[in-house]
Amino acid sequence: MKVSELVKQGVFKTFNDPGDKEIHGVYISDMVSDIIGIGPGNLLVTLQTHKNLIAAANLVDVAAIVFSRGKMPTDDVIALANKAGIALLGFEGDTWTLAKKLYELGVR
Amino acid sequence: MTSVRNGYLVVEGCFHCRQRTSFFSGEPVPPQDDYREGDHFWSYLGSSQASKFDLRCEGCSREVPLDDVMALMLCMRCDPDCGVYKAGSGRAGEKTWVYVALCADTSHASRRCVSAPGIKALNEYFNRGNQDGHRKIIVVSCERRKNVDTCEGVVLADVGLTDIY
Repeated sequence: MKVSELVKQGVFKTFNDPGDKEIHGVYISDMVSDIIGIGPGNLLVTLQTHKNLIAAANLVDVAAIVFSRGKMPTDDVIALANKAGIALLGFEGDTWTLAKKLYELGVR
Repeated sequence: MTSVRNGYLVVEGCFHCRQRTSFFSGEPVPPQDDYREGDHFWSYLGSSQASKFDLRCEGCSREVPLDDVMALMLCMRCDPDCGVYKAGSGRAGEKTWVYVALCADTSHASRRCVSAPGIKALNEYFNRGNQDGHRKIIVVSCERRKNVDTCEGVVLADVGLTDIY
């Protein structure tokens, strides 16, 4: 599934252009130091909204980032994500509910 | 990626010579004690959660230890005269991102930095499976950085993790 197809489901808020990257998996983590070990193409689910996260997500070439619990990135974080071509999505519910929703939507 | 170790990146400064150093601590709580080492008087400046790792080639199983890498940092291209900035220049049409491998001797008083095999392995690892021919990750050693005090790079460490709630 592509990020644009996921966004079309109407479940997520978008903070920038969702782009058209292919989602190859999901990884849930709130630690930047943990993220740098994952493979490319993952949908990263996190509570963190700071620049360090974008720097790490770009290094491992994530498909997109989903912020759970209604977390909002600041303008400078969105600007860096735009430069990196990383889609930023938002979800109002908690991370467990988000994980279940992604599975229901067909993300594997 | 192999031998992943979780711990803290601890930064210390010497008020005597104003040099800075950093080290990785695997202890549950990062050490914050001041101490004397020869002519240096090291004081704790800060710490952040971090991970260290080594790299192993999936083809030949050869391992490249990265003990001398304290953390990675994304270059924010703040100074055209900086060697790190220049490493990402001159690649028209490419989305090039330069990351800096930070060594322990921030001031480079010892004249040592991250090893060349380590830099080579990091470049190969973070460009593996790159499907976008226009996207490139470049990893350079921190000795190419012009000025640590004015650098606007973003360090890949968990600073402010307790602020998420």
